[in-house]
Amino acid sequence: MTHQPNYSPMQAKAPAPPGPGLYPSGPYQPVPPVSSYQPVPPVSSYQPVPPVSSYQPGPPLTSYPASPGQPLLTRPPMGGLPSHTPPQSASPSPGPRLPPAQATPPPPSVSSSSYYQNPQQPQPMAPSWQYNTAPPPMGPPASMSTPPRGPVANHVNPAVSSTAPPPPSSAVYTSAPPAHVSHSATQPPGPRMPPTSAHGYTQPGTVPPPMNPMAPHTYQPSRAPYGPPPTGPPPTMKATPPPTGPPMGNATPPPPKAVGTVAGNGPQAPNSYNHVDNKMAGLPQPGPPGRHLGHYPSLPPGYQNTSTPHNTTSPMHPAMQAATQPYTQAPQPYQQPPGGPGPAQLSPSLAAMSLQSSTPEALRVVNLLQERNLLPPRPIPAPTPCLPQDLQKINCNPEVFRSTLTSIPQTQSLLNKAKMPLGLLLHPFKDLSQLPVVTSSTIVRCRSCRTYINPFVSFLDQRRWKCNLCYRVNDVPEEFMYNPVSRSYGEPHKRPEVQNATIEFIAPSEYMLRPPQPAVYLFVLDVSHNAVETGYLNVFCQSLLDNINALPGDSRTKVGFITFDSTIHFYNLQEGLSQPQMLIVSDIEDIFLPTPDSLLVNLNECKELVQDLLKSLPTLFEKTMETQSALGSALQAAFKLLSPTGGRMSVFQTQLPNLGVGALQSREDPNQRASAKDIQHLSPATDFYKKLALDCSGQQVAVDLFLLSSQYCDLASLGCISRYSAGSVYYYPSYHHQHNPAQVECFQKDLKRYITRKIGFEAVMRIRCTKGLSIHTFHGNFFVRSTDLLSLPNVNPDAGFAVQMSIEENLDDMQVVSFQAALLYTSSKGERRIRVHTLCLPVVNSLSDIFAGADVQAISGLLACMAVDRSVTASLSDARDAMTNAAIDSLTSYRQSVLTIQQPGLLAPACLRLFPLFILALLKQKSFRTGTSTRLDDRVFAMCQLKYQPLAYAMLMIHPSLYRIDDLTDEGALNISERTIPQPILLQLSVEKLSREAAFLMDAGTVMYLWIGRNCNPNFLSQVLGVPSYASVPDNLFMLPELDTAESQRTRAFIGWLRDQRPFFPSLRVIRDESQWKASFMQNMIEDRTESALSYYEFLLHLQQQISK
Amino acid sequence: MTSLTMIARVADGLPLAASIQEDEQSGRDLQHYQSQAKQLCRKLNAQSPDRCTLEAGDMNFHYIIAQGVCYLFLCEASFPKKMAFAYLEDIHSEFYDQYGRRVPTVTRPYSFIEFDTYIQKTKKSYVDSRARRNLGSINTELQDVQRIMVANIEEVLQRGEALSALDTKASNLSSLSKKYRSDAKYLNTRSAYAKVAAVAVFFITLIIYLRFWWL
Repeated sequence: MTHQPNYSPMQAKAPAPPGPGLYPSGPYQPVPPVSSYQPVPPVSSYQPVPPVSSYQPGPPLTSYPASPGQPLLTRPPMGGLPSHTPPQSASPSPGPRLPPAQATPPPPSVSSSSYYQNPQQPQPMAPSWQYNTAPPPMGPPASMSTPPRGPVANHVNPAVSSTAPPPPSSAVYTSAPPAHVSHSATQPPGPRMPPTSAHGYTQPGTVPPPMNPMAPHTYQPSRAPYGPPPTGPPPTMKATPPPTGPPMGNATPPPPKAVGTVAGNGPQAPNSYNHVDNKMAGLPQPGPPGRHLGHYPSLPPGYQNTSTPHNTTSPMHPAMQAATQPYTQAPQPYQQPPGGPGPAQLSPSLAAMSLQSSTPEALRVVNLLQERNLLPPRPIPAPTPCLPQDLQKINCNPEVFRSTLTSIPQTQSLLNKAKMPLGLLLHPFKDLSQLPVVTSSTIVRCRSCRTYINPFVSFLDQRRWKCNLCYRVNDVPEEFMYNPVSRSYGEPHKRPEVQNATIEFIAPSEYMLRPPQPAVYLFVLDVSHNAVETGYLNVFCQSLLDNINALPGDSRTKVGFITFDSTIHFYNLQEGLSQPQMLIVSDIEDIFLPTPDSLLVNLNECKELVQDLLKSLPTLFEKTMETQSALGSALQAAFKLLSPTGGRMSVFQTQLPNLGVGALQSREDPNQRASAKDIQHLSPATDFYKKLALDCSGQQVAVDLFLLSSQYCDLASLGCISRYSAGSVYYYPSYHHQHNPAQVECFQKDLKRYITRKIGFEAVMRIRCTKGLSIHTFHGNFFVRSTDLLSLPNVNPDAGFAVQMSIEENLDDMQVVSFQAALLYTSSKGERRIRVHTLCLPVVNSLSDIFAGADVQAISGLLACMAVDRSVTASLSDARDAMTNAAIDSLTSYRQSVLTIQQPGLLAPACLRLFPLFILALLKQKSFRTGTSTRLDDRVFAMCQLKYQPLAYAMLMIHPSLYRIDDLTDEGALNISERTIPQPILLQLSVEKLSREAAFLMDAGTVMYLWIGRNCNPNFLSQVLGVPSYASVPDNLFMLPELDTAESQRTRAFIGWLRDQRPFFPSLRVIRDESQWKASFMQNMIEDRTESALSYYEFLLHLQQQISK
Repeated sequence: MTSLTMIARVADGLPLAASIQEDEQSGRDLQHYQSQAKQLCRKLNAQSPDRCTLEAGDMNFHYIIAQGVCYLFLCEASFPKKMAFAYLEDIHSEFYDQYGRRVPTVTRPYSFIEFDTYIQKTKKSYVDSRARRNLGSINTELQDVQRIMVANIEEVLQRGEALSALDTKASNLSSLSKKYRSDAKYLNTRSAYAKVAAVAVFFITLIIYLRFWWL
């Protein structure tokens, strides 16, 4: 593998900052010690302020201990499945066997600190991006012996072991349980009592106890043969007969454990079953053996046969299956009657049901070369972490907080072996329809790591809780004993803080360094000749006029305007003036504010002046001949104006700044766009903008950049101003008010959203994770103030963040780990609030479980962020290689370590089946593509978006959705607020899916293409587009006419629904064969071959070749 | 001119509204004063004098307490005291009108932050030297300004600590005096024994003398 060398330096899986427990002080600056909190009279109030008098002084304690089954009280145990290291003898994973390279990791801060450093210093992009270079040492046998998370696996046939005891294995197992028990015994008293917790878990399920005895019968026959199973008929839906044979074939005595989960063929059962099911099955069994039986791996071929049809017809997604968990138990009682018939005699559905629980769907082996049609018909939901149901029920919404691996590996070496990046993707300020808000004078937090109390802490007793991040035992404050929701006393575990993974606190004054700032908006507008030409001023002024009352804020809201060309123009809007006063400062070298008091004015008091100004502004510069642009000075002036209060600066720029400080030169050679070996100038040309951004960040000023230009503007340099000040960047290439109506509409809609959306000021965000894990690299727009504190002068609901993590210490004794993101901000109403998200994930110790929990979208999203960094610090080709290698490595690792049978073909677990496709899509994405002509600004903007957009939107930009829309029907349609929204199925991005007789909609995130086939159904043309024939489809059609036909309504409902799902406005482009947009439409046909890029199939072949090397 | 105005509830020191004006030229660090102001609000209680000026270096804190609410104004020491108190009175009457009734019920800090707008406007009229002339009328109303107590901010903030220091010193003293007393007692007994011993020796010598020389 030629790329391999690249990998080695990367090893540095950053040792990163100390665990959360070590963080010395409160997260938010000088928060005084808890003890100093003053008891405020109205003691605590959850929205409905409870009368203090209702505190029940009575004896509250009794009820609490009385109910040991309370899952809430006994959280962490996870049904007494402590890390099953006992049989680990052969297991390669445990133990700190870090490869030497890892012993010398760069200091943790390196990667994150790269933001501080001069970006021009080529800094070997830090670590984690790469995994081990060397092929993993462990051979297949090793993997066999890795216990797949203890008893987790096939609970369904628990009895098997008792009836069919292969001596060795049973020995292993019997020895295991004691260890297991003692292990739990050593646990600190309290939550970890296995029986209790298990009991708690069983409760939710409605499992009839008798089911267990039955299982043996049905399974026994199948178990008998130990030898390799007959390579029976292809078990799953794939065509290759040999491969999918139950891996158990290899199973020599030790196998039981290995095969359990590894036997990837089992059609469906997602991992998530295992815990619950296992407990359900295992508990009633008198002894531990019952549980371990579960490990009997092998599924008789016959079984697989029967199950196949079921699978193929209804490929349930794991998430859906998880949802149905409790029901899977139901069929089992039915197995009783047959009394021991071979599995083949079971009805297919029964077999399928029981199989579900034996092998997770996520691990089903898929031969990518054979199965072409892998794309699910509907967008893929996020995988569900394999957690007990009661934990999962309250876990954080994946749209807000998502991990690349929903099962966290126990050790770094295990993670290295899996060769998948570990990280989190966050959308912390997402608009939420439901958000519990708590007002309380004391916010309960861990005393040592300052974690906010959350649903995943455990209550040792009524007075003490144990932090789930640092494991410190804390006291429950008196005030917390009262539950304002139920108005009862003595139930701290029922408080809203402990019931919701996402919650918002109203912060007491300890969280404020200064009084909350008012909402301050400053608009900095380019009014040079070029800008006037584009005509954007009209749109801007009109949008602001229309929405001026919707600007978030209160009576303190302030606004100001600055315009600039070669000079800076200020506008005095002081109350009492009859009309706005323009003040021109021509000394751009040493900028000063002419009248500091009256440039930023109270919007309520001076609304008329502001409206006057907005009405006159477009005409003011109509005749200007000034072509120069002194953007740098204008930014400095704006910074001076905003620095006393902080706020938001919106900069509109239409050309390359070419005067005064921060002037830039054109660095792009258009002729080199396609041919250049490597893309130059992805890094900023000057650090002026970065330095200014850091100053802004220090004064709580965020800069949002709107770039409307047809020329090269050096977004790579200009973008820094937003990147480090936590702003956002909008880019409208070739914006013109007449020539490009689609962009105008897009700009209009974006502006509307931008002006009216929620905003948080002077924010900071801290992400904590359980001791042992550490965060080392952040992606997004912000400034990293200390190792884990992100400074966000502004935070908006459309900003996404990603972080990379490494495992510092082995997570041996933990069943779950938690992550907490806390965002402290000032709302536009002057309230200081803290939004806390907590995510809980299971820890696993086998590779197969890690693979089963992989979230392919999150992985692709994180890889994209890493690749952007890599392109800037190293080179684009490096980044491309690294992405390809990421796919190769993880699939290689899967093949070598998880698969037990080597079969031909390119094999991937079902959960990663789209991984190569997404990687290929990334390689063909605007950011990383080579060979085709891509303007540098377009590329840089695409890169910004990959890093800044929340995952859901980024995925559309990576892999657009293609639908056929000329035959929309109401079948399977969604019904949202009385609108019927048809749901066409997703098509693969390949020209072969297009047909001349149809019309297709491609949703590429920021833009939608409606492609009309040459022989398109005339009905569609007339009913939806309102044109008689294909030839009369206008060239510049940007919206669908509102026709009163069913087809038109359906189409518009569908497109409108797609648009409503995202905060920005995707413009629609109707294209025909000869349309100018056809090229960009075709470039999104990712699975097809282009002059410079491989087709999907070729890419798979390439991967296969690399893997089998 | 750098200034800081803060309104807080006296009962628990909860800040209700505040307004800050920073001056670029002075470049003073308001952060320090802000935390002092917060501490001060917490220290104040119903027993505190209801009008007071506290000196803090070249800045002065002026405050008045009325109806359970403290109005605090930080300004340069050179700013006329009269003016400062007139300003505080002005703010007080407006604030009480607008929010007075809601003060005891709020729990969120800076609940009335919107009052900031009024504060800024009022301050401008008091601080602006041209406007100041128009406010001549206030002079008469505020003759008692001279009687307002003046103290040092450090003293107020550290009053608690000073008392506790005094307490420790006193207890030290008393324990020392106890020790002295026991020591004195001991010495007394010792000297008494010594006297008795001396007398005894004398008599024994006398007896021996008489015994051997006289007999």
